[in-house]
Amino acid sequence: MTSIPQNQPPAVGAGGQAERTRLAERAEGIRRALVERPRFSLRLQMYLGFLAAFILSAGVAVALVYNFHDMENKIRFLEIVNDYVMEVEQARRFEKNFLLYGSNLSDALDSVFQAEQILTRNAGELAAVMGPGWSQVMLPKLRGYQALLERLGRLQGAAGAQGGPARQDLQARVRKEGQEMVSAALALLSKEKASLSTTTRRSRQILIYSLALLLVVLVLNAYLLGIRMLGSINRFGEYANRIAAGDYTPITPSRRYRDEFTDLALAINAMIQELENREAVLIQSHKMRAVGTLTSGVAHELNNPLNNITLTAHVLQEDYAGLSDAERQEMIADVVQEAGRAKKIISNLLDFARETGSQLEPLDLPHLLQETIDLAANQIKLLGIKIQLQSSDNLPRVHGDSQQLRQVFLNLILNAIDASAKGGKIQVIVVPADEPNYVAVKVIDFGSGIPAHILPSLFDPFFTTKGRGKGTGLGLSVSQGIVAKHGGRIMVSSQAGQGATFTVVLPVTTIPAELGEGRHPEPANRAKA
Amino acid sequence: MSTPLRVMLIDDEPIVGKRLGPVLEKMGCQTETFVEPAVALNRLAEQEFDVVVTDIRMEEVDGIGVLERVKALSPRTKVIMITGYATLEVAHEALAKGAFDFIAKPFEPRDMRQAVAKAAEALGLQMPEAAALMVEEILLTEESGLPE
Repeated sequence: MTSIPQNQPPAVGAGGQAERTRLAERAEGIRRALVERPRFSLRLQMYLGFLAAFILSAGVAVALVYNFHDMENKIRFLEIVNDYVMEVEQARRFEKNFLLYGSNLSDALDSVFQAEQILTRNAGELAAVMGPGWSQVMLPKLRGYQALLERLGRLQGAAGAQGGPARQDLQARVRKEGQEMVSAALALLSKEKASLSTTTRRSRQILIYSLALLLVVLVLNAYLLGIRMLGSINRFGEYANRIAAGDYTPITPSRRYRDEFTDLALAINAMIQELENREAVLIQSHKMRAVGTLTSGVAHELNNPLNNITLTAHVLQEDYAGLSDAERQEMIADVVQEAGRAKKIISNLLDFARETGSQLEPLDLPHLLQETIDLAANQIKLLGIKIQLQSSDNLPRVHGDSQQLRQVFLNLILNAIDASAKGGKIQVIVVPADEPNYVAVKVIDFGSGIPAHILPSLFDPFFTTKGRGKGTGLGLSVSQGIVAKHGGRIMVSSQAGQGATFTVVLPVTTIPAELGEGRHPEPANRAKA
Repeated sequence: MSTPLRVMLIDDEPIVGKRLGPVLEKMGCQTETFVEPAVALNRLAEQEFDVVVTDIRMEEVDGIGVLERVKALSPRTKVIMITGYATLEVAHEALAKGAFDFIAKPFEPRDMRQAVAKAAEALGLQMPEAAALMVEEILLTEESGLPE
């Protein structure tokens, strides 16, 4: 009786070990990929943003300071020119008095001297506004006028009050020169007034435009920071949802640089690893619970071969002398056969109970379901329940961990057994799902159904309808976690009094079978971070 | 011994009948063994038995069904239940319905002999072969030094 398949615990153990090593290497690889990017922290971006705003403000301040300086110069210049014009006009008034009454010439000359003093005293300021050539414009005119006045005074002293033609001519030149001088000064004054108002306007414009520019810079800064932070926050929100749904794929780099969110990603990856470890423990402990449930059926079933062996051995012992060789041979053959039967009854269960590493491989679902039903066969027989397996022909394979999926289906079948009345019926159907590239496994019972108000909480951890100490409320939650890891989902539909249907939808494998051996490629539709 | 004890044995495990049939025959019982309870029930309709030994858990008709049928046909018949994994619930049900005794699997031929002898006694029938066998058995176990 060596036909019972032998399992190879060392090989499976080694597989689990290799799996753990592989997972650890992958986690390390992802950690390195996350860390080994150039660092561009949020803090740095904030600093740079504010620095840009500061540089802009500083530029504005410098421009304004320069402009105010310019304005001050111009105002000073206007004051000088104004004083100059007043002195020149004063000179001209004295000149008029002199021409009319022959008096005040010395006053006029004094005013001209004052005007010249104003010009020479403020040579620096004038040069700053008019350029170095200023003295070529104003001083010669003033000096020409001064010279004419002096000549007129000398002529006056020599020829008395009566004017000759030379005096007439000189008077006309003095008047003309004086007029030109005043009008030139006035022209300069009005030009500089216009220039001052331009400078004032420029100050105002610098203020308004730089304010607008500052607004743009600040808005841009806020926008860039916002995009970066909100984008990352949204991304991490998606990660959280994904993790909550049971997808424990670590976060992989999604940008070209690292920052504070990278630290968060590293922490979340550590958390994911911890969650995954805990889930593995949870799955295993839940599996042991299922094993416990199956034990009553197994113990019952085991009694039959054990009883056959006991009876046969005792009869052989009692009647040994009176039996023919052929009869003895037959009895020994019975003992051997029944021992094999006993072994087979427990080997399925022990095989299922064994802790194994995650092994992904292409799976034939109808075959897997038949194995699962065999596992629960004793339980099913014990309660006199009929179970039917129907499957479509030529179903594509799914990619998954046979142990874990068997656990999911076993859980659904055990639930269906619990829901069924004694002597009831359970249907297990495998068909292509409504959506393409998915296969659906339906476990249908005809029990009392599930009330609509508890349907939404059915997959919540610790939710149970079974009595205290009978159910942990983790079966469906663990199952959902396993199915989600396979890229599928579990759905339930039920009507009170009409039983319930649990549907497990799994993606079909799109990876060639030979690749699936030992390489553990991820399911085709697995979400990428 | 005027009439031998008529015993019917029903168990869907063929080896049980195959081994216990000769054991009961040696006790002096007239034994019929059945693997399918439905066939056994048909036979019950034709022939009254003194003792019916039936497994509780069987496909189609279970031991409780057999018990009910036997009691309906012949109330004096003693029914001995073989149970694999004795549950209080089933035991209560069987007792309420008039079962005479229980034997829990796995059991030895001696357990069966004792149960049948007890049933025969309850029916007021003598079983000299059975008594002789039991003495022999005691001697046998003493000789082989098996612990009791």
